[in-house]
Amino acid sequence: MITVLEYILLAALIAVDLMVSRWIGIQAYGWMPVEATQEAQRVDDLFSFLVAVGAFIFLGIVGVIAYSVVFFRAAPTDYTEGHPGRGNWKVEVLWTAVPTLLVLWIAFQSANIYGQLNILGLTPIVERLNPLESPAYAREPSPNPAAGPKPAPPPQPEAQPTVVVAKQWEWSFRYPNGVTSRELHLPVNATTPLLLKSQDVIHGFYVPAFRAKQDMFPDRDITFAVTPTQVGQYRLQDSQFSGEYFALMLAPVVVEEEAAYGQWLEKIAQNPPDLPRLVAEEQAHPPRRLFDSGWRRGDAIAAAADEDAIALRDQASPP
Amino acid sequence: MRHIPLDERPIRYDRWIDRLPRWLQRFLPKGGGTAKDHHGKGMFGVTVFLLSESVVFLSLIFAYSALKATTADWLPAGVKGPEVSTFVVINTVVLLSSSAVIQLAERAIKKERLTRFRLLWSLTVLMGSYFLVGQAIEWSQAEFGLRTSIGSSAFYVLTGFHGLHVLVGVLLQLTMLGRSLIPHNYDDGHFGINATTLFWHFVDALWVVLFTIIYVW
Amino acid sequence: MTDSTHPLPNDIPQVQMQGWGHYLRFSTDHKVIGVQYLFTTFLFFLMAGLLAMIIRAELLTPASNVVDRPFYNGLFTLHGTMMIFLWVIPSLVGLANYLVPLMIGADDMAFPRLNAIAFWILPPAGLLLVSSFFLPHGSAQAGWWSYPPISLQLPSGQPINGEVFWIVSLFLIGVSSIMGGVNFITTIVWMRAPGMTFFRLPIFVWTVLSAQLLQLFCLPALTGALILLFFDLALGTHFFDPLENGDPIIYQHLFWFYSHPAVYVMALPAFGIFSEIIPAFSRSPLFGYRSVALASFGIAVVSVTVWVHHMFASATPGWMRLLFMASSMLVAVFTGIKVFAWTATVWKSKLHLETPMLFALAGVVMFVFAGITGVMLAAVPFDLHVNNTYFVVGHFHYVVYNTITMAIFAAIYYWFPKITGHLYSEGWGKLHFWLTLVGANLAFFPMHPLGLQGMVRRISSYPPEYQSWNVVASLGGFLLGVSVLPFIANIIVSWMSGLPAPRNPWHATGLEWATTSPPPEKNFDETPVVRRPPYDYGDPKVTVTEGQNS
Ligand SMILES: [Cu+2]
Ligand SMILES: [Cu+2]
Repeated sequence: MITVLEYILLAALIAVDLMVSRWIGIQAYGWMPVEATQEAQRVDDLFSFLVAVGAFIFLGIVGVIAYSVVFFRAAPTDYTEGHPGRGNWKVEVLWTAVPTLLVLWIAFQSANIYGQLNILGLTPIVERLNPLESPAYAREPSPNPAAGPKPAPPPQPEAQPTVVVAKQWEWSFRYPNGVTSRELHLPVNATTPLLLKSQDVIHGFYVPAFRAKQDMFPDRDITFAVTPTQVGQYRLQDSQFSGEYFALMLAPVVVEEEAAYGQWLEKIAQNPPDLPRLVAEEQAHPPRRLFDSGWRRGDAIAAAADEDAIALRDQASPP
Repeated sequence: MRHIPLDERPIRYDRWIDRLPRWLQRFLPKGGGTAKDHHGKGMFGVTVFLLSESVVFLSLIFAYSALKATTADWLPAGVKGPEVSTFVVINTVVLLSSSAVIQLAERAIKKERLTRFRLLWSLTVLMGSYFLVGQAIEWSQAEFGLRTSIGSSAFYVLTGFHGLHVLVGVLLQLTMLGRSLIPHNYDDGHFGINATTLFWHFVDALWVVLFTIIYVW
Repeated sequence: MTDSTHPLPNDIPQVQMQGWGHYLRFSTDHKVIGVQYLFTTFLFFLMAGLLAMIIRAELLTPASNVVDRPFYNGLFTLHGTMMIFLWVIPSLVGLANYLVPLMIGADDMAFPRLNAIAFWILPPAGLLLVSSFFLPHGSAQAGWWSYPPISLQLPSGQPINGEVFWIVSLFLIGVSSIMGGVNFITTIVWMRAPGMTFFRLPIFVWTVLSAQLLQLFCLPALTGALILLFFDLALGTHFFDPLENGDPIIYQHLFWFYSHPAVYVMALPAFGIFSEIIPAFSRSPLFGYRSVALASFGIAVVSVTVWVHHMFASATPGWMRLLFMASSMLVAVFTGIKVFAWTATVWKSKLHLETPMLFALAGVVMFVFAGITGVMLAAVPFDLHVNNTYFVVGHFHYVVYNTITMAIFAAIYYWFPKITGHLYSEGWGKLHFWLTLVGANLAFFPMHPLGLQGMVRRISSYPPEYQSWNVVASLGGFLLGVSVLPFIANIIVSWMSGLPAPRNPWHATGLEWATTSPPPEKNFDETPVVRRPPYDYGDPKVTVTEGQNS
């Protein structure tokens, strides 16, 4: 039977486990990249919560196993029997019911946070077949709840989207005023609608600092919105494997004040900057490698894509 | 000395197995120690395999339905798609009624009426072959090719994969017909015939589903 | 008749080793086939591990300076495909092949010839896949998911190309798996010895049963997807080509409908191995045997309904994301039941820490870690951040290497005396364990912080800020390469000149220990009759009262 002393000891151990796992949960914020959107703050809150719960369970189970390994050892030749416990239905029901409630709670928390993210989703096929029908599951862009230090300004649904075009192996961005660049500039504290378009294979729009990721499909536009809350330089990376130069599908993301953003748009309208083209550079000057298989064929694909690029860019205009 | 109850009392499901229909019973074992029941485990294995095989069809049907529900140009304008015609209906009726014929053949062999069995069994072979020929004619007369559009490709893949199964069924039947000439072939029971019959029913049942989604939908 | 659950006193068998020859021939003996599976798949494991080490060499530095990019893409594609379809799944099939008939008291599998054919499909299919490295345009390079349209694009007009080889090879492996699945299900349902009721089956048999049911009813979806992909690739149809009205998302659904449950096809038998070894080395019955047995089925059933969690960042609507988040998290409940049961078995028992137990306990601990990151990944908002990053790669390797491969090693050590009739060397086994434990954690833990920081998977060059963790991971990877050397040495030397093994060197329960080591051709001299519950360890002062039905 469990004595009172053992109960107190158990309670104390659980309290220690709780405290330690809470501390680990707080540390978890530091494992993530910069939070450049309010979504990022929400996701990091969720991550911290998940880490805390996970640490509690991990420490609990591993603690019991480690204790057993240290203290419940048999002598090498002692093959006598251990404990006779074949089961206890009360305990078994308990360790089925409690985790069920726990994961439902986690799922509820996650769904809650998901509801606060600004993902409009795929343009449904129904809409493509019949443009008059409204999207089946796209939500209106909504302001984020006042959770962060800087509350988001009211959204501008009438705003023209910035068109994000992915092709093998380069990003390009077409701004509402018609200029195209290979750099994504965004005004801070404003919701910028994005229209994600792919020209060839599946690509993925991923900015770690925004905690936002969405696959992009050829011939199926996806509406997306970001509200950066912090000025800075970030990185856009293709997140869905797209072939030979997949690793080079990077683009700078610049979040700046509204005024600077406007100035930049005007500047590049006059003289487009000459940004480095990573793939072309690597093709022109292949790096020295220990082994070359000779399988290369991406050059042909890139050349073919360049030929259609102009035609396809017209197609990539906003609806 | 403390007694603990034996936690794992065998489930007595032999009793409710007895209440099931005969044809179902042959797929279910009656507890441990059935290792020597070669016919029983053989039929069980064939059943499990057919259930698994039906998932391949299910996945193709899923792809077919999803594409048909969402694709803009299922078939190009002006091209006549697969339709319920007298030709197709006769083909279908022949295939489905062959299920009844093979069932009669199976019953004949159970009663050891070998000539009657061979007759009915050969009739099934003919009916299956008739279906295959009809399918080939339909393919050659279709207004669309494999690459015409998504709809035409899906039509050929689905009917082709089913036709492959019909062909395998006919080949199995021919093998069994040949084996029926071997003396003492049926000393260990009729596993080959039972399994082929089950396979044939499976192929026919699938055709009902495919017919509905290809020609009726 | 003998009461066979309690093994006979230890004696040294009269059975002499028949030499190596019969392992190279077509044999219908399930024991020979089991060893053939283990040997063949271990060779593929070594090859796929070599590919991984080249990958890790490339990732030592941020620049792409070891192999060219198409070759790198071929490396990770074949590493993934071979590890999953030619090592983890078939090596567990090999173990099950050896053990299931012994554990249920049968003389062989239900269909011995089918069993042999299923095995002999595997080596040519695997060699076909490997041979694609020597094609002029190389092997498949679209990742082990082979998502269209990228998988359709890479072959670039060559009729014979790596992608076709990949499809044909996987199709053949699938045929072999279905044959195996039919055989296992029939064996477990029909071949049990008298008295071996379902609730007397060892957990390993339960897990094989549920894993093989998953193979039978999910793998055909992959077969269907491969058929359509092959038509697109070789015959010019456009099922999955979005620019020609096709829909690549259908492929993703079909692929993950199999490939999520595939993780449980691998993990369930590993859980079974833990459930055999942990009671034997803690001298206690498995706590909550029935709930552990039923949890295997629970995992199998729930895991069929969770596949969309691989597509959260894909073109999936919100309701689908949330629905599949909830179902994915429920898997944790059933795996939790098992973890708690193992923990309770160990608690207050008499632990022996021989090599199998070390591998098993470490496997359980690392599985708890993998399970927690798994629940995290099911949470949609977090997954949208780490999806397709190294966090997923880290989680997955904690499952397939740190849990399942650890379990396979545990099983090989545990049943080595039974299979070979010789004892292995404990010292070399422990060396292997510690090298593996350190190497695996060094190699796979750093992937989690890398993923959190946003390092995308499948890239052959990366921004410099990710380098430090990558160096750690690479060193761990090379250490893992070294760690198999003592294992290989131990197996070869012990098999040739190890001490002869008694029937039951671990004093374990279970029918496989009631026969000689190695077992005779038909496994048992007379058909065993089972009269006792499984895992009949525990205080000998406590007797088991028999049920009314036995
Ligand atoms: Cu790996
Ligand atoms: Cu999964």
